[in-house]
Amino acid sequence: MANLILKEISMRYERKYILDTLNLEINHGELVVLLGESGCGKTTLLKIVAGIIESEKGKVIVDNEDITDKPPQKRKIGYVPQAQVLFPHMKVKENIKFGLEAHKYSKEEIEKKILWVSELTQIKDLLDRYPSEISGGQKQRVALARAVVIEPKILLLDEPLSSIDATGRESLALTIRRIQTETETTTLYVTHNQEEARLISDRVGVIYDGRIQQIGKVIEIDNKPKNYLIAKIMGTTNIWSVLYQEKREKRTILTTDIGKINLKAKLERKVTGIKIDPSDFEISFGLTKEEKENVADYLDLEGTVKSIIQKEKDVIRIVVELNVEPIEYVKVDVKKTFLDKTIKPNQEIFLRINPKVVQLL
Amino acid sequence: MRPQTSLKKFNSELVTNRLIIILAILAIGSFLLSLFYIPIVKIFQFAFFSDVQFTFETFISTIADSINVTFLAFTFLQAFLSTLICIIIGIPAGYFFAKYDFRGKKLIVNLLTVPFVLPPIVVLLGFIVTYGQAGWVNILWKGLTGSENSLISIFGTFQGILLAHVFYNLSVIIRMTIPAWQSIDFEQVEVSRTLGVNRWKILWKIIFPQIRNYIISAALLVFIYTFNSFAIVLFLGEVRFQTLEVRIFKLMKASLNFPEGASLAILQLILNTIVIVFYLIFDRKTRQMAIGREKGLPEKKLFFSKTDWKQNGITLGSTVFILLIGLFTFAPILAVIIISFKPYYSGISPFYGYQQLLSTEYMPLLNNSPLRMLLNTLLFALITTIITIVLSLLIVFVLRNRYQSLKKYKSSKLEGLVSYMIILPMATSSITLAMGLFLSFNSSSLYQNSVWFFIILTHVLISLPFTTRSILAAYNRIDVELLNVASTLGASRFRVFRKIEFPMILRGLIVGAIFSFAISLGEFGATNFLVRGEYGTLSIGISKLLLTQTLQLPATMASILIIITVLCFIIIQRFGEIELKV
Repeated sequence: MANLILKEISMRYERKYILDTLNLEINHGELVVLLGESGCGKTTLLKIVAGIIESEKGKVIVDNEDITDKPPQKRKIGYVPQAQVLFPHMKVKENIKFGLEAHKYSKEEIEKKILWVSELTQIKDLLDRYPSEISGGQKQRVALARAVVIEPKILLLDEPLSSIDATGRESLALTIRRIQTETETTTLYVTHNQEEARLISDRVGVIYDGRIQQIGKVIEIDNKPKNYLIAKIMGTTNIWSVLYQEKREKRTILTTDIGKINLKAKLERKVTGIKIDPSDFEISFGLTKEEKENVADYLDLEGTVKSIIQKEKDVIRIVVELNVEPIEYVKVDVKKTFLDKTIKPNQEIFLRINPKVVQLL
Repeated sequence: MRPQTSLKKFNSELVTNRLIIILAILAIGSFLLSLFYIPIVKIFQFAFFSDVQFTFETFISTIADSINVTFLAFTFLQAFLSTLICIIIGIPAGYFFAKYDFRGKKLIVNLLTVPFVLPPIVVLLGFIVTYGQAGWVNILWKGLTGSENSLISIFGTFQGILLAHVFYNLSVIIRMTIPAWQSIDFEQVEVSRTLGVNRWKILWKIIFPQIRNYIISAALLVFIYTFNSFAIVLFLGEVRFQTLEVRIFKLMKASLNFPEGASLAILQLILNTIVIVFYLIFDRKTRQMAIGREKGLPEKKLFFSKTDWKQNGITLGSTVFILLIGLFTFAPILAVIIISFKPYYSGISPFYGYQQLLSTEYMPLLNNSPLRMLLNTLLFALITTIITIVLSLLIVFVLRNRYQSLKKYKSSKLEGLVSYMIILPMATSSITLAMGLFLSFNSSSLYQNSVWFFIILTHVLISLPFTTRSILAAYNRIDVELLNVASTLGASRFRVFRKIEFPMILRGLIVGAIFSFAISLGEFGATNFLVRGEYGTLSIGISKLLLTQTLQLPATMASILIIITVLCFIIIQRFGEIELKV
């Protein structure tokens, strides 16, 4: 049974629809990450669910109850906004207490709950400090504790890691996941960072043009992104949009920024982009003319090695700058054993792609 | 399920909120309407109606009158020159205080605000005992040079008025330009240096554009203050020099020429409104510019070195500079306190002035005992503060009504109306405020019997913009998301106000309250216009004794005002910054 249902939510901002008949269902205890670029309406959506902003159209349904017209006070929804907004004039403990007092818990219950949540979020040592005396990661834990302690029906997280430095992100993300799983709180988490989605989501929804365009497990979307834009938002490597699609007898030619892909099939659907797996390139450092002509359908690329990264124990990834206008880069994975000599930066390189391995988006 | 919840569309929370807002708007609206806007209309009536006939005749003939034209020109000229001198001295001083770090800097910068918050009549007295005919500067000059002539003559001279205005307003410029220098994006300067740009070009192309708006808004403010200067010009200008404010006062009180006074008041109101609107525009620009600046001008330590003589030169020069500014700013204030203990003829006690406070010897001159005047002063200030705080809170509440603005992404027209309604009182001089009330209510029994009520009202109207500003500044620093989170945590509107908003604006509220107290404490123009019988304040008392032989009693009264003001100022310092701005 779905715990949170958003039905045809629409919201305009200065005449432009930033949310356009958006639909979403989240199951009980599930963590759904909404992934989208900045300004796509993610934050607005959270505020609508929290009751801070009234949507123009649509319904918010929690546990089978339509709460669209309920004020935020009565929704019991935990909201953690993007900026770390703790009440600056209250100690950490008072921050957490704020919601409990508003819900009129007894003193003993309040103490009990504070103890429970501070252990859960690992902030026991911070209770007597003011927000100005703790670090960014700690503030976020407190904000989380403050939202979770009222045992919300839904937890809303707005880019919770955006102001945390790189080293603390992963551990905080995993903490969020742990708290969410332990409390079985249905959670809507919005971010523009696909790494976070990969790390902790049950399902991920890609949002643009005011709607959730594709939703599913990360692996599902990675394997079968609906179109080029979704693949791009998911951070997929080696994708290019199709600029022009040409149909010939028994053939389809796709024009992209790296060159033309010559497919031996007549495609009826519109292809939005192409994706080439980094391990699907054939590499050579020089070919004779005859060899080239033999494989006329292949796409040949010339370029320069720009950087070399050790990827796995016996795989290296090289970044190649192609000799095309405007400049494009491709990432290529090579087995170490395959190379008879070492690759150096600024070395010329020839890449060859069999159209059969090109994935169409 | 659906029908049941749709009934809740008008939930109690939202209804209560709207009700509070409507009540607040009604309260502010009726206050301003009855005590400000209708009196202003009354002034219009006197300026543009003869009997019941609308006519421009009085207005035109008044502003075309050559005497009035002269005074108008003088008002402009002295305001312009005073502002210019303040700018020329104040900007380098601001730069100095922003750039150099030395012991006692914070204290000096804070103390610089004191002259600005002192009552004008006290400033005037200090000025007279320092620069007057028998003042210290002239005595020192005569002693040093053996000359018979005074160095400075402040009565009936242009220079006297300019000097007094610079003394009163220099601190405004310094205090307002320090943040300008501090907010300079110094990274831009560093980048320009790496690009090989020369120093003058950096100053002109990089630094100046960043501080320009600060300078303009500070200058406009000083212009407004000096353009509407009253007490200083009333006493120093004699008959030759009158600002519009003084001219209006004399027309109303001495010549009883109400139509001409009203016409000039309208002219003054129009000119003030223009300058205030410009000021608000530039002030908004500076606020926008101040956002997101992190790296300001790097501070340098001032010190004496054993080897670096250039450094020593800078340090010495700076020390002299600080001392001069300090002397210029504080000497008159100290002089007042010293005079209060200086027997005006031999044989009487140094505490004569303080003893006189309790006597009734000056009753005939003052219409009251000095002690009663002190009580009046404190009582008026207290009541003014309470009314002002309540009104400002209501105004702030309406202007920052989160429900309306968030749910609909825009505020309603009524709220917009309130924000415009409070601009005009800012542009209205104290004499005009008093005059409006006088013309509207002088025949009422309330006015005849309880003029104190109207005196307090003018004090409220004068301090309201300052207090509102102070609270609003504190309010604007509250992140709206805090309030959002608070409501998702289940807190009611009232609880959010009590637990979050109120504690967070408390400092601004205290600063605003004390500011309002200090303004009322020393208000002279409007009080002097309205005062009758026993309702005089210390400022009125001082002004009546200003031209008598003994300065000991007025200096005593002034010293009391100085002490109370400095106490207020110390409390303000503990709680935050003074907004010098209107």
